[in-house]
Amino acid sequence: MRTVLLASLRVHVRRYLAAAIAVVAGVAFVVAVGVLTSGARSGLMDGFGAPYRDADHVVSGLGAGAAIALAERLGPNASPIGRAMLPMRSGGRLFPDTAVGPVAVAQEMRWQKLVSGSFPAREGEAVVDTWVARSREIAVGDRILVGEGAAAADLRVVGVVESPSTSAQASVYVSWAQLVRWRDEPTLSLNRVAVRGEVGALPAGARVQPPEEFVTEKQAELNNRVDALSAMLLLFAGVALVVSVLVIANTFSILFAQRSRDFALLRCVGATRRQVVGAVLREAAVVGVLASLAGVLAGIGAGYGLLALINALAPAITMGSAAVPVPWLLGGFATGLVVTVVAAWSPARRVVRVSPLAALRPEAAAGGHAAAGPARLVLAVLLLAVGPALLGVAMAQDDTAFLVAGGATVFAGVLLFGPVLVPYLVRAAGGWLGPTGRLATANAVRNPRRTATTTASLLVGVTVTSAALTGMATTRAALDEARDRRHPVDASLTSPRNQVTDGLVDRVRRTPGVEQALPVYGVTALVTGLDGPIPVVAAPDAGLVARDGGAFAQVGPGEIRIDYAAFRKDLGLRPGDQVTVRAGERVIVLRVVGGTGWGRVGVVSSETLATLTGLARRVPSRPGAPTGGIETQALWIRAQAAADPMRLVDALDDLADPAGLQVDNGLQARETEEQQLRVLTWSVLGLIAIAVVIALAGIANTLGLSVLERAREHALLRALGLTRGRLRRMLAAEALLLSAVAALLGTVIGVGFAWAGHETFVTRALAGATLRVPWPSLGAVVVIAALAGLLAAVLPARRAARVTPAAGLTLD
Amino acid sequence: MMRAAQDALAAGARNLTKTYGRGETEVHALRGVDLDLPRGGFTAIMGPSGSGKSTLMHCLAGLDQASDGTVTVAGIDLGSLDDDALTVFRRDHIGFVFQAFNLLPMLTALQNIVLPLELGGRRVDDAARERAHLLAETLGVADRLGHRPAELSGGQQQRIAIARALVTEPDLLFADEPTGNLDSTSSAEVLGHLRRSVSELGQTVVMVTHERDAAAYADDVITLQDGRIA
Ligand SMILES: Nc1ncnc2c1ncn2[C@@H]1O[C@H](COP(=O)(O)OP(=O)(O)OP(=O)(O)O)[C@@H](O)[C@H]1O
Ligand SMILES: [Mg+2]
Repeated sequence: MRTVLLASLRVHVRRYLAAAIAVVAGVAFVVAVGVLTSGARSGLMDGFGAPYRDADHVVSGLGAGAAIALAERLGPNASPIGRAMLPMRSGGRLFPDTAVGPVAVAQEMRWQKLVSGSFPAREGEAVVDTWVARSREIAVGDRILVGEGAAAADLRVVGVVESPSTSAQASVYVSWAQLVRWRDEPTLSLNRVAVRGEVGALPAGARVQPPEEFVTEKQAELNNRVDALSAMLLLFAGVALVVSVLVIANTFSILFAQRSRDFALLRCVGATRRQVVGAVLREAAVVGVLASLAGVLAGIGAGYGLLALINALAPAITMGSAAVPVPWLLGGFATGLVVTVVAAWSPARRVVRVSPLAALRPEAAAGGHAAAGPARLVLAVLLLAVGPALLGVAMAQDDTAFLVAGGATVFAGVLLFGPVLVPYLVRAAGGWLGPTGRLATANAVRNPRRTATTTASLLVGVTVTSAALTGMATTRAALDEARDRRHPVDASLTSPRNQVTDGLVDRVRRTPGVEQALPVYGVTALVTGLDGPIPVVAAPDAGLVARDGGAFAQVGPGEIRIDYAAFRKDLGLRPGDQVTVRAGERVIVLRVVGGTGWGRVGVVSSETLATLTGLARRVPSRPGAPTGGIETQALWIRAQAAADPMRLVDALDDLADPAGLQVDNGLQARETEEQQLRVLTWSVLGLIAIAVVIALAGIANTLGLSVLERAREHALLRALGLTRGRLRRMLAAEALLLSAVAALLGTVIGVGFAWAGHETFVTRALAGATLRVPWPSLGAVVVIAALAGLLAAVLPARRAARVTPAAGLTLD
Repeated sequence: MMRAAQDALAAGARNLTKTYGRGETEVHALRGVDLDLPRGGFTAIMGPSGSGKSTLMHCLAGLDQASDGTVTVAGIDLGSLDDDALTVFRRDHIGFVFQAFNLLPMLTALQNIVLPLELGGRRVDDAARERAHLLAETLGVADRLGHRPAELSGGQQQRIAIARALVTEPDLLFADEPTGNLDSTSSAEVLGHLRRSVSELGQTVVMVTHERDAAAYADDVITLQDGRIA
């Protein structure tokens, strides 16, 4: 059988290509995940202990205030670890949320490695992480502006450092004295202090540990986090592998069907069943070994390439130099091999059932195939009945396990039911086409089982994609809504002391990038629990500028709504507290309600404001002449969609400063959140793309093979008068029909899954999230899938059409 | 005069040459064949295996390009047609019956018979169906029209193929060993049908065959030897 094996591999090598591509992609995915995991692990672990190297104790579980107190008590014997997230301006560019950390006071406790220059010795000096220096083009001697408003500091860069420990890493490091100036920043967190010598008394909740114990404990935690992440990535790899199995099984089915006469002939000349199956499986094994090897190499390449890319693009996420993860390589290789052989198993068994006599019946190979056996149909119906029931339970009980089980059951049912369903749909769709289309339809449905398997891989790919796209659109919409609630007003100009003049309102309105500016009326009042007087306003028209439609300004009677973020640490209030509000002679008691995103004013209802001012009439809602102590207290601004946040905020600052007003803005925070969402979106899309590529390779392969398989039919059709162009069109129509049907079906199922998933866990996590179906993206997926099918048929169809009928008819 | 001569001829070949491959592997399948096929005649082409019978038929039928020489069918030089024109010409003027693999497996017998009409963009109307039924009845396969090829015997398949070849009333009907796979009874029936289509319907038939018995049904026998007419 050796000669048969070698000869058939040689002859069929091109036909195995797509199956091999599927294996390569699946294995490469697994191996790349392995490399990335190992990179992330070493990135997190390497130098993790560096900040605690010379310490005797590690104190953890402290708030920023307690950590500062401890550091001040111990002086040079303490090295606090943490960071504040502050906006940084450098070279005319703004970098919101830049991590700023401390450099230890004592030389020996400084864990950063100096690359050039020197450590900051005093306030006004900073060192920059080497990756950050490179990507943001900052050099020793440059000036950077860190922080905002009163807390802004103009710093001179005196050195560049390497940060060996990811957990303690920051982008910019300053002297301890400088960092303490931001002690009131809400983003400042100092949760660990490395201590030399005695620690002394600590506040409750703090923990003191020897450094070794602390490091071991934290590393275990990090390990778990990395493992969870790679488990999630492996889920995608799993999808990719399932698609691969379908593609490979499909390829082998077609190849073996084409060769069933060869096999029968072999049986005729004396090969036993076992010999034939053995030969077939060995063939699959050779393909599996070669493809898995290629996949391992491709995965290593992709993994290390991605590591380098991440290091270059996102210096904040340090990926260490990954050791070659040998278990992952072996695992990926074994998976590829096993998947290939398992996928070849069922087609091989079918081959063995061919009787030797089949070789003597020339038409046998092309004979009719049953759509599906009764057992298969019963099972399919059963799965299709049980699956939705499981999904129903999942939705009712918010149970993710049921969701997964139900989804898998429904999908298995659809795949089993495919030989009935897909030809039916193809026939329905093909009914719209002309005579060539009718031939194409007849071609497409003549072997229902093959039609179904051809479309299966694409079906899986499109289902996963559309479910993920829908899930993503829904989650994004919910997150966007939450963000709009957090930042209802893009920017606000306020001051408890100064009023907003009409002239300023006009100037703000003329500022480029401002879409709307709404003057807000109210009085200045003293609120218990707040240090100074604040404007108390009513804004029935907030909807004109607010991103949340003005909901934040709809305050109930007897309530006052306070912006927690804007007042930050000045605030000793909690939601639900009763506060007295005093404006001049009048005093009322209101209940505090929280919120964020409109600046340093308290918002009340128009009625409350009227009571507070003693006016009988309500607050004017339009700029008119507010009377009786009511003044324009604030200006709320909505930015144009295309506005550059930094430029706009600068322009507003320039207008507000001379008027003694303060600018608060949610634009930069919005931008940062937006960016994080984009990164998330693209990562998920990138992962899905791999499954889609395999699926496309799968349908391309099957279509190509089935064109090859029917060379004689095409020659006959050409002999009977089908022109080249029409033959090409017929094959194209067939491919288009199959891929479009698969894509549409996949989209429907995918959206269904997304809906079930949404009902099961999205509604739980994000209250008020409504399902968003991203029709344009889904449409694009269907079009891309259909085009891919079309494209897959183009080359084989050209080749098929080029053959002269005489040559085609003598083919075997 | 010229015109009349052409009308009397269904097809002709002058210096027809076909060479496969190049250099070492060059095979001269046809070496300058001159041939005239009269209209309404039944011509058998005979010769030993590998003598070029199938090649000659393919060239005459426009299924393959000749390396040299001319082929004229129904007064038209096939060499002057591009591929699309040649295809349409085949569809409208030539019918085929092959030794095996005559029918498309996904179509029923009836669909196979009317396929050339459908490919020609003609509506398959009741008249066409009527004609197909009539042919099928004449050929004795009327009760099998709803079946697919895999469910038919070899002889039935060949008769369906003849019905398909005749349904367009072609100028020329080519048959390449149409009885090669059949037992003597079936092959006698198939040959009888071909003979009758010549005698009764006035068809022109060219048949490639190995068998003396089969050639006996023909009006005329051309023998090929090593790519030449012997
Ligand atoms: N595609 C091809 N490439 C190379 N040589 C070919 C090709 N087709 C036919 N031949 C050669 O051309 C010669 C004539 O072949 P042809 O098929 O016409 O013979 P035939 O008379 O029909 O034989 P048979 O009775 O066995 O069918 C043979 O020597 C054959 O090997
Ligand atoms: Mg021959």
